[in-house]
Amino acid sequence: MRILLIEDDQVIADFIQKGMKEAGFSIDHFDDGLVGLHAALTQDYDVGILDLMLPGLDGLSILDRLRQEKKDLPIIILSAKRTVDDRITGLRHGGDDYLIKPFSFSELLARVESLLRRAQHVVEPTSLSFHDLTLDLLARTVVRSGTKIDLQPKEFTLLEYMIRNAGHVVSKTMIMERVWDYNFDPGTNVVEARISKLREKMDKGFEVPLIHTVRGLGYVLKRNND
Amino acid sequence: MFSRGTMIKLPNTLGFRLTFWYASAFLVCLVAALLALFIYLDTILNNRMDEDLREDIAEFQELLTEGGRNKVISEIKREINSSDESEVFLRLLDGHGKVVFSSDVSEWEGLDAATTLIVPKDTVPSLPVLETVEFPNQEYPARIVLGKIGPDIILQIGETLEKKEEIMELLFMVFAGMVFLGIPLASGVGWLIARKAVSGIEEVSRAAKDIERGHLDRQVTVKAQEEEIQTLMDTFNAMAARIRSLVHEMRDMTDNIAHDLRSPLARIRAMSEAALSENDSTKGYKNAAMDTIKECDRLMHLINTTLDMAEVDAGVTHTKKERVNLSQLLADLCELFEAAAEEKHITLKVTLEPNCHIVGDKHHLQRMVANLLDNAMKYTTSEGQVSIELARFPHGFCLTIADTGLGIPLSDQDRIFDRFFRCDHSRSLDGCGLGLSFARSVARAHGGDITVTSESSKGSIFTSTFPIASPAK
Repeated sequence: MRILLIEDDQVIADFIQKGMKEAGFSIDHFDDGLVGLHAALTQDYDVGILDLMLPGLDGLSILDRLRQEKKDLPIIILSAKRTVDDRITGLRHGGDDYLIKPFSFSELLARVESLLRRAQHVVEPTSLSFHDLTLDLLARTVVRSGTKIDLQPKEFTLLEYMIRNAGHVVSKTMIMERVWDYNFDPGTNVVEARISKLREKMDKGFEVPLIHTVRGLGYVLKRNND
Repeated sequence: MFSRGTMIKLPNTLGFRLTFWYASAFLVCLVAALLALFIYLDTILNNRMDEDLREDIAEFQELLTEGGRNKVISEIKREINSSDESEVFLRLLDGHGKVVFSSDVSEWEGLDAATTLIVPKDTVPSLPVLETVEFPNQEYPARIVLGKIGPDIILQIGETLEKKEEIMELLFMVFAGMVFLGIPLASGVGWLIARKAVSGIEEVSRAAKDIERGHLDRQVTVKAQEEEIQTLMDTFNAMAARIRSLVHEMRDMTDNIAHDLRSPLARIRAMSEAALSENDSTKGYKNAAMDTIKECDRLMHLINTTLDMAEVDAGVTHTKKERVNLSQLLADLCELFEAAAEEKHITLKVTLEPNCHIVGDKHHLQRMVANLLDNAMKYTTSEGQVSIELARFPHGFCLTIADTGLGIPLSDQDRIFDRFFRCDHSRSLDGCGLGLSFARSVARAHGGDITVTSESSKGSIFTSTFPIASPAK
């Protein structure tokens, strides 16, 4: 999998490159809009990460050019502009996703993977499983080691989201956005409380705990505590 | 060839246009009135002359019956002697148009050829023939009457129109003078009226220019007599006041934000410095990094909330207003807080009137209610209760969120909606002091408001109203 990164902030670019390489991607970085556009048009990439304010050529113009040339490269826009209008503008110009700076790497990774899945037309599975846990997406039931676990609808959605991103940290913000569709932090420990309730239902009484807290970042579904 | 240089470019100002149109309208009316008067006078004078001529015929007819032809002739002679032969002539004709007796008609060239000489057979004596004839040797035309005054005796009287025409000419001169004088007069009056109308606009324009130069306290103080101009001035003043208050608020906000930004920055700096001075402790570094992320998130939250609130307050949010089901929105939020409440052993009592719709910004409303719920949860101790109630009123909805928490001291109740204000007992808790002011901004942006009643250590009740906009608005 090859990622194209067009970003002029060296610190952010290094941060993304390091993370993506660790996650097993190969990544090309350009800090100039025109050079980046040239690379996007001439070489094969699976996904592009694009900053909006760039020297050479701005991000929206790059998007316009890419879509004119009928390049169906999936693009994630990175921007410090955060209003709904900015988001809509970005998506109208042909962006596939919009991520606001500052962001956590795990969030970027999750979005990249989701775009890749979409681009590869992966057939949506009817069930998801991780370790000894199985989610039936049609019947909306959860079974762990043969034991049926009763979950509320939102708890099910939360677990589904975590299992889809198994092994990657999901932040509180991501959970709020993907599970509850709120793009703000409603305060109070609403997410923490949900997670601990979920834990109680599906980790309690089992040998291996699956939900782990990563301090300062969020939560991750994984097998062992390393 | 057409020369573009000769085209006159008229000034495009409102003042000039008003003056021009006023003057034009005035002149058109004046000319029309004078013309009507002129035609009316002309007709009256003509009628009077005809009347006189008819009377003359009638008199001579009487004279003929009384004293015969000789009496008529002597009367004609008398008449001729008393007037100028170039002004009047009298002739007697027989039934075939042959002149029997005549005054001196040398001044009336071609008289026989120009006039009717035979009275139509069927004409009764009392119906004389009247005509206006021009003579080559006379300056003015004449009015001529031909009437039968007896059997076979026809009288023809001609009289010049000189006097009448002279009166009309004089009248024309007077009227033309009036029009000529009217042009500057109308323009002057028009200009004065235009000045008066435009002066208000100019004052507003000057005030706007002053404000643009930075004099934000500038107001339009002049009073206008015209309602429209006064409305413009009032609207302008209201607008200027709004800008002023926004700028002041922004200034205060900036001060507060700068202050609130410093604290997390100071913490980040301190943590990083402490981590650096530690001796190769990976765990220490990790902790410092985690704390830094936490502080960054807090900073982001502060910045975002501030921006959102500025947006709501300025009313510049471009988000399309949509129909929002308040009941559903509240139910979803209560569901979200449910687990957290359970964990803290707080009872959530939810009473929602179903299908309460308002038009508004869904995301802002969500945050507003989330802020209120968050507050209620924060200040309610274990085993307490938070009740959420949505009720319908004739002109809107009322949302009550009551808690059995710490309550707010009376002295603070007025200020809790102010930006960055935090009660003493809230300082130890998470938050940036913007939650309630955001809630109030959103409530007001939706035409409602939010109030609080609270009793120390018994709890607080936050009441928000959401009026349904009348269709006219």
